Amino acid sequence: MKSSYLTIFLIIISFFSVDLFSQEETKHQVSFVKNESGFWRVDVNGKVIQIQGAGGVISPGMLEEFAQVGGNFTRTWGIGTLEQKVTDGVRYIDKAHELGVNVMAGLWIGHERHGFNYANQEHLDKQRAQVIADVRKWKSHPGIAVWGLGNEMEGPQSKKGNPAVWKELEYLAKLIKKEDPNRPVMTVIAGTATGKIKSLIKYCPSIDAVGINSYGAAAGAGETLTKLGWVKPFAITEFGVKGFWEVPKTSWGAPIEPNSSEKAKSYYSTQKLVAQLNTGKKLCLGTFAFVWGSKQEKTSTWFGMYLNTKEKLPQVDALVKAWTGKWPDNRAPKIKSVKASFFGKKVSKNTELSASVDVVDPEGDQLHYEWIICDESKAQSVGGDHEYAPRSYPELTVINSTSTCSVVAPSKAGQYRLFLTIRDGKGSAATANIPFLVN
Amino acid sequence: MKKNTMKLIFGLALTLLVNSAMAQNFGDHSSSTLTTKAWEELGKGNHDMAITYADKCIELYMADAQRMQTAMKDFAPSDDQEKTSSYWALNDVGTSLFIKGQALIKKDKKKEAVAVFKTLTEKVKFAQCWDDNGWFWKPAEAAKKMIIEMDFDNE
Repeated sequence: MKSSYLTIFLIIISFFSVDLFSQEETKHQVSFVKNESGFWRVDVNGKVIQIQGAGGVISPGMLEEFAQVGGNFTRTWGIGTLEQKVTDGVRYIDKAHELGVNVMAGLWIGHERHGFNYANQEHLDKQRAQVIADVRKWKSHPGIAVWGLGNEMEGPQSKKGNPAVWKELEYLAKLIKKEDPNRPVMTVIAGTATGKIKSLIKYCPSIDAVGINSYGAAAGAGETLTKLGWVKPFAITEFGVKGFWEVPKTSWGAPIEPNSSEKAKSYYSTQKLVAQLNTGKKLCLGTFAFVWGSKQEKTSTWFGMYLNTKEKLPQVDALVKAWTGKWPDNRAPKIKSVKASFFGKKVSKNTELSASVDVVDPEGDQLHYEWIICDESKAQSVGGDHEYAPRSYPELTVINSTSTCSVVAPSKAGQYRLFLTIRDGKGSAATANIPFLVN
Repeated sequence: MKKNTMKLIFGLALTLLVNSAMAQNFGDHSSSTLTTKAWEELGKGNHDMAITYADKCIELYMADAQRMQTAMKDFAPSDDQEKTSSYWALNDVGTSLFIKGQALIKKDKKKEAVAVFKTLTEKVKFAQCWDDNGWFWKPAEAAKKMIIEMDFDNE
């Protein structure tokens, strides 16, 4: 009874939610279409495009840089990002539209691991009202191309997901399409586990496309989907370097992070394979790289395509090359190798350690080096949940600013990494890190 | 002088042969032993030794692997560990080819690496390799990725 009152109240509220864009409303029509070669593409008001996308793109100046190098689509995980101020106080969605960048607007759907209960009608009613209110509020904005219904709400580590989650997705997809028949709905899941795809086919006929978040296996996503009987389009909604759960580890379990040049290769090959070469490519609407910005997740550099000081990394150059066939004017430094006798090893407290890097800059720019020891992150978060940056120890670097460094191992036993950042002074950079254990 | 030189060459050759025989240990010569040893050597940076073990696996089991491959129309279901593991020769030869290709890249022999990867993608493409994290991965898919990445690296 209580939940019914709440539902009625929220529906009334949503009816009165302000349609901010009704004054400038124009006919906006987006759909997924097959082009003359049989490839699925996005038709935005008659302009047919392949998604050259990325997630993130939020920090001031990023949207401009993204559009300039060929990016045409971004995605958000939640609707609030649309109002985030980016450049000169302009909202994210307005700046994206101004730059001709389409947005897949994320409508956040509850995760069971965060306490959302799909058997609780009150939870469901509240979420439904919120989704409708959000769609109603934003549907007239011409910058929005696709509704992104949820992100990994079925559970990143689940094999097939809870049927109640899939059924609710179907319910919500129908609601959205009734409210806004002019845009397609894509839901986003983690990976292509057989049970998940079969469930999606069984329970969610109103979903127009599936977004797959996948790292090490992204290149084969189209082939897997095809084999499982998926016939609608898909997009890779997060991809990039192999995840920290997919790479070799040290003897104490620290994942070995590829350096930025190794990561760049992975972005390039995945983009080529999934969108142009592999079986299932015709179903592929395009991809969203993760993440056009910086992010602390396991380390400060694992997934970010930029430093937190805004320099672009080689991953950006690789994506530009894959999208356009051309390199950007100023390329990032290329790491050939990193050498350290203590790489993945145990060392004693207060030992003096040295490491070196062999790096070239394609334009011959003068390079600036920064070496710093940090604690290993102790976060055990899942699915990209927020993490705090671990503590760093600049005082332990004895010789810095050159391609060879000297550092002193911390005096406290524990897991650490020595991070290297190389900047070219012209907006590009490269990164690497060395895990080690202090006894 | 000539006789002494011959003796020296013979001695060196014998030493190399003995060292080589002592260094490599094919164990029970099973495909899984050889593949495991190849992985271990690759991990240690002993690229020549990794190639030695991989080559031995390929030499002994390629015929079995191809027989298995020919009888298949698609990958074995990766969620059926028992079924997938039953293609032992195919899986180990495919993995050994992948390891050999990796070792050749590390030795900067990229053309040879591409040739090895092509053998993998053409002759034993349904091979799968168990990852200790709990899933099978596909060496032929990984090899395709490596070929593209080598091209990218050259640009």
